[in-house]
This record gives sequence, C-alpha cells and structure tokens, in this order.
Amino acid sequence: MQGIIRIIFKSIKFYKIPVLYQILIIVLLSAVITGSLLTGESVRQSLKKTSSESLGNTGILISSGNRFFSPDLIQKMRNGSNISCTGLVELTGFCQNMNSQKGVVNAHIFAANKDFFAFQGSDSLSIKPGEVAVNIKLAQYLDLKKGDELIIRYSEINDIPADAPFAPDRKVKSVVMKIGAILEPEKVGNFSLLISQITPLNIFMDMNDLENDGHKINRILFKKDYKNSLIALYDTFKNNLTLKDIGFKIRTVKKTGKNELVSDRVFIDGTIADEISKVLPSSARVITYMGNHFKSGGRSTPYSFISGLPSALYPEIASGNGMIINRWMANDLGVKEGDAIQLYWYSPDSLNKLIEKNSHFIIKSIVDIKGIWADSLLMPDFPGISGKESCSDWDAGVPIKIHEIRKKDEDYWNRYRGTPKAFISYEKARELWGNNFGPATSFRFPIAVTVKDIENKINGSLDPYKVGFTITDIRAQSLKASESSVDFGSLFLSLGFFLILASLILLSFAASLYFDSKKRHINTLYALGFKNNRIFMLLFFESALINFAGCIIGAFGGFLANLLITGALNTVWNGAVQTNTLHPYFNIIPVLTGFVLTFLTIMVLMLIKIKRYLKVLHRKGIEIYNNHSGKKNLIILFISSYITISLLILSVLLNEQRMFFSLASGISLLLTCVLLWRQYYLGVSKRVQRKTETRRQFSRLYYSFNSSGAVTSILFIAAGIFTVFITEMNRMNFNEKAGNRSGGTGGYLLWCENTIPLKEDLNTDFARKSFGLDDTKLPGLRFVQMKRSSGNDASCLNLNHITTPPLLGTDPTDFINNKSFTFSKALKTEHLRNPWQYLKISPSSNVIYGIADQTVLDWGLKIKIGDTLMLRAENGMPLKIIIAAGLQSSVFQGNVLIGMEYFSKYFPSVSGSTVMLAEGKPESAELIRNTLNDRLENYGLSIEKTNNRLASFYTVSNTYLSIFAVFGVLGMIIGIIGLGFVLLRNFNERKKEFALMLAVGFKAAKIRRMILSEQLLILFAGVLSGILPAVVATSDSIMNHAKIPWMFMLFMVLALMITGSLVLSISVRSVTRKSLIGSLKKE
Amino acid sequence: MLSIKNISKSFTQRGTVLDNLCLEVEMGDTIAIMGPSGSGKTTLMNIIGLLDKPDTGDILFKGGSISNFSESESAAYRNMNIGFVFQDHLLLPYMNIYQNIFLPLLAAKHSNIQYSDKRLYINELMIQSGIYDLKNKFPSQISGGEAQRVALVRALVNKPSVLLADEPTGSLDAKNAESMGELLLEMNREYSITLILATHSNDIANKMSKKLHLVDGKLVL
Repeated sequence: MQGIIRIIFKSIKFYKIPVLYQILIIVLLSAVITGSLLTGESVRQSLKKTSSESLGNTGILISSGNRFFSPDLIQKMRNGSNISCTGLVELTGFCQNMNSQKGVVNAHIFAANKDFFAFQGSDSLSIKPGEVAVNIKLAQYLDLKKGDELIIRYSEINDIPADAPFAPDRKVKSVVMKIGAILEPEKVGNFSLLISQITPLNIFMDMNDLENDGHKINRILFKKDYKNSLIALYDTFKNNLTLKDIGFKIRTVKKTGKNELVSDRVFIDGTIADEISKVLPSSARVITYMGNHFKSGGRSTPYSFISGLPSALYPEIASGNGMIINRWMANDLGVKEGDAIQLYWYSPDSLNKLIEKNSHFIIKSIVDIKGIWADSLLMPDFPGISGKESCSDWDAGVPIKIHEIRKKDEDYWNRYRGTPKAFISYEKARELWGNNFGPATSFRFPIAVTVKDIENKINGSLDPYKVGFTITDIRAQSLKASESSVDFGSLFLSLGFFLILASLILLSFAASLYFDSKKRHINTLYALGFKNNRIFMLLFFESALINFAGCIIGAFGGFLANLLITGALNTVWNGAVQTNTLHPYFNIIPVLTGFVLTFLTIMVLMLIKIKRYLKVLHRKGIEIYNNHSGKKNLIILFISSYITISLLILSVLLNEQRMFFSLASGISLLLTCVLLWRQYYLGVSKRVQRKTETRRQFSRLYYSFNSSGAVTSILFIAAGIFTVFITEMNRMNFNEKAGNRSGGTGGYLLWCENTIPLKEDLNTDFARKSFGLDDTKLPGLRFVQMKRSSGNDASCLNLNHITTPPLLGTDPTDFINNKSFTFSKALKTEHLRNPWQYLKISPSSNVIYGIADQTVLDWGLKIKIGDTLMLRAENGMPLKIIIAAGLQSSVFQGNVLIGMEYFSKYFPSVSGSTVMLAEGKPESAELIRNTLNDRLENYGLSIEKTNNRLASFYTVSNTYLSIFAVFGVLGMIIGIIGLGFVLLRNFNERKKEFALMLAVGFKAAKIRRMILSEQLLILFAGVLSGILPAVVATSDSIMNHAKIPWMFMLFMVLALMITGSLVLSISVRSVTRKSLIGSLKKE
Repeated sequence: MLSIKNISKSFTQRGTVLDNLCLEVEMGDTIAIMGPSGSGKTTLMNIIGLLDKPDTGDILFKGGSISNFSESESAAYRNMNIGFVFQDHLLLPYMNIYQNIFLPLLAAKHSNIQYSDKRLYINELMIQSGIYDLKNKFPSQISGGEAQRVALVRALVNKPSVLLADEPTGSLDAKNAESMGELLLEMNREYSITLILATHSNDIANKMSKKLHLVDGKLVL
C-alpha cells in the first residue's frame, strides 16, 4: 500500500500542471456549492435576527384584531400568570413631516405606556407628552430629526364597527407631535408583530396622547421567557376575562326593574350571544332597530325605533307579523288594532351597502307610553343618536332626510328619547335585522337574576377565541416562518446550476487531459503486470486525493462566495430580498454539506471517467473512426425539423398557449440546429471525397469522424446561450399584454390603498358627489373596492413562510363581466364557468373559497389548488378557505381573495374598503390619480399605477433571473475555457497528424490557423444555434413589445465570441514546430 | 545538390548531438546513415528537412543557403523538395488512403490543371507501389507494410528532389522490410530522387550507394 501511495504522490508531483488545473476547477465548484449553502444559512439566520429584533422581548401575543379591550386585563394577567407583560394599541396611520411635507402612508403607530420600553429592555427610554419616537427608516424616509414636527393621522378608536347599522361616520384624528427620539433597531425601533424581513415605518407615542377613552388596548405582549404552555396562558386569560373587559355593561332597567346586558359595540356578536345564552339560559335577547318610516293609509311616521322583544319576558308580544304600537304612533298614523302597517328600514346587504327594505305588520294592540312600553333603554346606545338634543343632530350612519322630521317628532324625542314606538317578537326582529354584527342589541334577564349572578356566571367562562382574541406564540411563529423561509441555499444551487454543470464538464475535460498525459505511465504499469483493478484503484485514489485537496480549499472559497453573495443581495441583487440587513453567517453544517456534496459528485464523475478511460485505453484508436453514418442522424434531423415546424405553427395558431409553444419550438429548434451541425460534420467526409482539393473541408475531416467532439461543444455553448437569452428575454416587464383585461392588471389603471377605511361606495352618484368625483373629465371612472384583513404579506417580497396572509374581500362581479385577469390553474367544476364565481359560493358553514396568485400559493403559502387554508374568523371560529384558483402574476400578489359577502360575514369589524382598483381611460390615468389624491387626501391614500405594482413584484423574479444570467455567463466563460481544454486535448490526440503536416510542407502558422478555424466554427455554430432558437422561444415576448435587453445580449454574445477567440488563440499557440517534431518519431 | 557544412546541434539534456558535421549529397545519391539510437540520425534528417535548425553551420541546397530560411520558406522547401518517410507511417486514421496521399498537395495552392496532373501522378505511383486497390480503404483496414508503402507514395506526391526516410523499415518484418527497401530504390531509379536513409539495418544500408556512420556527432565512412 505504501508503494501505491508513493506512486500516487510521485505521479501528482510529476503531473503538477494538469493536477493544478483540476484542483482549481474543484475549488471553484466547491466554492460555488458551499457558498450557495452558506448563503442559504446566512439568509435564514438574518431573517431570524430580524424577527428577533423586531419582536424585542415579546414572546406571546394576545391580540383582539380590530377590537379594543380594557387595559385592566394587563394587570390581571400579570398577577394571574406571574409573567411580565405590557399592553399597547397598534394602529395604522399616515404621517407627514411638517417642514418638508414629505409623507408616508401605512405607518405603524404604537401607543403604549412607559412600561412598554422597560418591557423591551430599554428602561431609560420614555416618551414625553407631545412627543413621539420614530424608527430610523421612517426618519430617513421623511428626513426627520429630533425636534422636528410630525403630523400623524389615524382613524378614531371606536368600538362600533364602522359598517354596523347606525354607526356614525368614523373620524380621522390628526395630531402634531414632536420627534423626541429616533430609535435604532436594538432599541426596538423596528418593533413589529408582522412576519416580514421588510423594515416597518414605526411611530411610538404615549398612550395619553392617543384619543382613546379608557385607554383601551388591542394587544398584550408577554415576555419571551414565558415557560408555560399556551394552554396555561389561555386558561389564565379566560379566568380573568370579564364582560367589562370586552366592553359589556350590566344595567338595571328602571321601568322593569330587571337587569340587561349591553355592549359598547351595540350589536352583540353571535358567538358571544351564544356563550351568554349557554351560561345563562334564562337570559333573553332583544333587538332594537330604527325604521325609516311607518306607513299606513297614506300617513307616515319617520325615523322611529322598534324593538324585537322576547316573549319569555314580554308575554304580550305578538308573534309573526303581529305588532304592538304605542298610542303616539297610532294617533300619528290614525290606525287602530287590526289595521295593517308598513315598516321601511335600511338594511346592510351582504356587501354592507345600505338598501331600504319594507315589511307589512298587523297591529295587534296599541299601548300607552308607560311602564314597560316607556322603556327608553331599549334603544341601544348609538353614539351618533344617544344624547343628541334634537333629531336633526343625529349622526345615524344612514341618510336622514331632515326635512321629513316634524316638530312632533322632535317633541317625542325630547320627551321620550329613543323609546320604541313599536314592538314585535324577537324572532321576527332577528329575521329582519339580525346581521353580521350580531343577532341582538341587548340581553335582558328575569327579575330574579342579579348583577352578581350575571357576573359570576359569565366572567371567567367566556372563551377568549370566541370573543375575538387570538393567543399566539408570535416568537415561535416568527422563527418558524424564518426557518422555513425561501431556501436561498437550494435557490442559489439551482440558479448556479449552469455554472456547476459547466464546472463539472470542465473538470471532465481537465481530467481527460490529465489521463491522456498519463497514457504512457499507465501503459508501463500494464506492461509491468499491474492488474486492471489495481490501476483503477491507483487512478481512483489519485483523483480522490486531488478532489479532497480541491474541496478543502473550495470550502474556504465558499466563505468568500458567501461574503460576495450576501453583499450582492444587500446591494445589487437587493430586489430579490427587499432588505439590506443580511449578514454573512458561517456555520459548519453547510460547509460540511457543501464539502461532502462536492466531493461525492466529483468522485462519481471520476469513477465514470476512470472506468471509461481504462476501457477505451486498450481499444485500437483506429476503431473509433469507423462506422459513422449520416443516415441515422438525417432521419432524426428530419423528425426534429418536423416537430419544430409543427410547434411553430401551433404557437401561431393557439394564441392562448403561444408562450408554451414558442418555448417548446425554441428548444426543438435548438436540437434541430445541433443535429444540423452534426449532419454538416458527418457530410464533410463525403464532400472531401467528391472534391478532394478543398483544404477547408480537409481540416474538418477530423470532426467528420469524431463529430461528438464538435457537437458536444456546440450543444454546450448553444444551451448556455439559449438559457441566458431566454432568461433575459423573459424578464418580466410590463408589456401591452399585462395591461390588457386578461393581463396582471386586469385592465385596471390604478391600485389604491387607503389607511383610513372608506365606507362609501365610490361607484354611487351619492359618493361621487360627496367626494367631488363626478367630474365629466373622468369618463369611465369605476372602482372595485376591497376590504383587507390584517395578515402577513405573502407576496414574493416577503421571504418568510407565511401561513396567515391578509384576506382581500372583493365582489368579483366586475372581474367576471370584464373577463379580467387570467388563471393559471383552477378547480374543475361543471357548473362554474368562471373561477371568480367561486368567491360567491360557500360549500358549508365556515368554509369558503379563495383565490390567490399562483406565485403566492407556490412560494408564499406553499399550498396548491384544492388545499385548505386554515385561518380564524373574527369571532374566533376556524375559517376554512379552499383555494379554488391560482391567478397568473397579478396585482393581487401577497393576498388571498375571498368573496366580499363572506368577508363581511366573518370579519364584520373590518369596516370600509382599504384597497381599491380604479379603471378609466388610460390617457386619464394621471388626471384620475391627481384627482383621487386631492379628493381623498384625508384617507391616507397611496396610489400606484397597476403596471408599476406589477413591476415591483417582477423585480424579485427579475433579480433571480439576473442572478441566473450572471451565473449562466460565468458558466459559459467556464465553457469557453473548456473549449480551450478540448482544443488542447485534440492537439495532444492529433500531435502526430500536425507533425506530419509540418513535415509535408504545411507551415506551423497554417496548422494553427486551421485548428483555430475548426474551433471558431464550433464557437460560432454554438452561438448561432443558441441565439436563433432563443429568439423563436421568446417570440411571444418579442411580439408583445416587451422590453428586450438587446444591448445586454449583444454585449454578451460579443464578450463570448471575443473571450472564446482569445482563449482559443492562446491555446493554439502551443502548436509550434518545436512541440511537434518530437512526435514524428515512433514511441 | 545538398551540401551540409559544419553543422552542430546540441540539446540541454542530451548534450552535443551533431558536431561540425559535413555531408555532400549529389543528385540521385542513395545514402544510408547508420548509428546507434540517440546518435543524432533523426536530428540530422530533421535539420536536412528544415524541421529543426542547427546551432551553427550552413546548409546549401542547389547552391543556395537554406539555413536561415524563414518558417514560410522552410515549409515551401519541404513541400516542394523534400519527401519524408518515418518509421511510424503516420497515416491519418480518419482519412482514406487516397486522401492521406493527397494531403501534401494541400500545403500549397495549385491550379485545377495541376491538380489533374497530380491525380494522374498519384494513380501512377499507387499502381507502381501496388496499393491502388487500397485507395478507398482506411489506415485501420490495411497492413503495416501497405501503410508504409502509402507513406512512401505520400512522400513522393510532390516529386521531391530528396527523400528522407527515417527508419522506414523499423516497424516491418523482414519480408516487408526488404520489399520496402526495394521500393525505395526503385523510386530512386525511376524518378531520380536522392535518397537519404537513416537505418539500423545493414541489409538495406548495403543496397545504398553510400553508407555513413554517425559517430560522436560526425559522419564517417
């Protein structure tokens, strides 16, 4: 064994130059593989660090979404769980630098008490009254410095959902604050409860500076050192949760002496109502609503309240269409018992748009306004109505025709306030007025049920999930999201695939060259009686040693590659990661993985090469040149041409699948071109026989009998050019097609997001007038308004693995009518012709359909069509969203679309639209944009052209394509160097041939020119066979006038040709008289 | 016709191979150069064929010095005046016999008429050397003796003045060696080609008009 080892080392020492070539290639290969894996680790660790930094000390989060609850819960939880926690209000708002007028929308506003910063470990930090702290990113965006003034606007904090019936218009609060501090990331400046690597725009203010009665909060944060289970925390929370905490009040009704339970939200959620009914079965539900008109016999009573009462507590109440009215209304309408009465009221439809409905009732009895019928508390505490001195002061959230309110109506209001004028059964009332916001406006209890009874029964028994809370281990979730984030290790391995392949091929060439140079050595060993196996082992161990050395150095090269790649991702390739906070991390596992992966791959390659080499070594070289026939190739060429032409015709005829067929015909053409070149080389022999004196043909005769040598090189160059070309040509640019109805914009011009929800339907004349959008200069202006729930951006801009994407509630009618957008995939059903229609149906309770961009499904959510996305509805119940269809790249990326009807049902507190698409004449885009910016200024509107939005998503894929192209070009350069190796190998193989030529009178320069022209033809053939098919493959993009980077590609081809010519010229210089004459002697 | 005056050639590893060597060759001469392996026979042949250059000394061909020929002039000289035959026939495996023979004609430009003449000449040579029937075969399909005849015809295709044969029978069996020797002399007689032969074989050397020994870098009788 020692002898063998000595032979190996001596051989390596002797053949040091070819060994060095191999080591260099292995170093490159190993560095690329290890570097890719280390980059994956770096991205993962950086995301973890960002998550950890943005959460600060936060471990567990209790959130009430859009609802608010009592801050008392903080202290109760502190006592109950014995763990440090803090509460805060999280809002979105928009703000502006007072001096520069620069503004941003969707800023995160955190209102907290002093203990928030202490909780986060920044004890010394505090925000003085009138001051705010902002993070560095916001400060940079708005050019803010300490002492500057900032205007902050946010939607007022109100318990009543803005879309609920009779909810007053939500006001926009505006405050001017001084910048007290600019917070660094280490001081929780980038605090965020969202899962994203993108740095948020944060404003921290003191709770006292937020207009917020009772300092209600919507988040409780628990420290990360909480060791018990979430269930334990849930139990503690449940035990401490009281009616008061979630805005319920118990009051005694003077007129009846009984207790009632009312909510600050006015309507009591169905799930809470069911919980109350469960623990207090004697409770009875009441629903009071406002009618627009009571009409009978041509007389009308406007704007009156009517109660639906439970028969258990009000035995007099009539069932069905029976109605009790009070004397005042009977007199006003001139009706008597048994008369019919018609009631008109506004009701939110499934999309929460108010529509006037009516119903007929029969008067069962007329009662005096006294006792239980004079109960003004039956009217809920509507903030825009209760406490108003006059009916004309009402802010009822519905259109009130002031001129219809008579003096007698004002008098009734002054005397009886909201005392209902009519009473029907609760069941009937629920049928008419029960809505997404709840089935009751109060609970009433029998006289025997005391306040204590109610409190004892309900407090501590409410399921937090069912009253709108979520309890999440946000830290674990965040870390899990970053751990299962986009795997940049595999991504870079696939992006660098061509480079890796090129390196392997180059290594194969280099190894062949090495083995060739050892031919005499091996033959000697054979002659000395070495067995085949022993020679195999000798070569194998020698290769292993070379491989090991290369891989070890390459592993260190991987560190350098990691530094370079993360540096590039933070700067020039920033588009792929949307952050500049990546740090290079070094971990032994990816290094070892890279080492082993490279080592094994190379050893497999070497195993094949050595076996092949030893097999061929003793075969007569002469045999190689026999039995070549062009007939087989001609048949294959004919078939390939036929397929190419067929695919081309299909690409012209089938407009919908043009992209696919263009690509397929391009690939087919590439193979055809290569086969054509093969045919050319095979035919050289025949042409020479016909016309012997053609010197050029003679020079290519070698490849006629060794066509694989030329064709492999042509195929390699062509495939490289083709790949880089189609990568570049398929760069996703906004083109005419994207702007079509079927494109990614759906034909819409603008994507608008407003921080303050917009309650109005901007397509109605009323809203147009009130917003001043009825301008005749804006013909065809139409909106698709959408509601959005909170969630983590699932677009390709977010690297984390997202499981809770934001939902976009939308009415797909316009999309269906306009045939907007195109689907990649959809569930197949017989009765639905358009996948958008899925958004209008629900297979069962708490199960709905959703649609998302295919990219979001594949990369963000990692689910497929037909899979179910599990989320929680606002009422805490699980909401199953079956993914019905995947859209081709669209402006909706990052969101999951569901029907507006179901959005309103499952997320009633999300009021008003915050996202909308605007369509109009393309030439009016700027005018529409300016008009909307002007008229909706107070809504924190950000408007983006749909094509720009689409382009911002394309940035990610385009950056990936750039990386791929860079690696591809590097791969091709390596391929070109490989051509040099091929040339050297050919030279070695043909040394005697060239020596003979020299002897018969060829000049050395002529021989060099001949070799060079052979190789240049291969290079040219490769380039041509790559470009032509690439143009065909991307004809769809070219025809759509996509921005094709012609200059880049021209530059690349020129660079390739120049580099290739240079490498070949240098390689051919080794063909000299001196290097040849030695070959004339027989070995 | 060919006058070699005081040429010397030395190599780093082998030392002085040719030392002030002189040789006068007349047209139609048949000269055998003998000597042990490494004595410098091939080096001398290469220098005569201008494949290699002497360190010192001069070579005159038909009265003119050719020692300082440029690469281009050397190639033309070889092409037009020198024919080489080597121990290894050096036939290109991917060319058929006819193409192999035709190869030297491609080193220089010829007119169509010249090509026609050459084709006739090649056919004549092939018939004369008994390899005409092999013209469409490949080197792998013929014997060693036949291959060496092909190599000889190839060397003669440009009607050279001097035929340099470096161990032309070294790889052949006795019968083929003898036959090859006969053929070489026949060509010498038929076409008045000067033959300079480097060989170990006394049998062939004895058939030459001059028999020289290369000893210590000098030619001696």
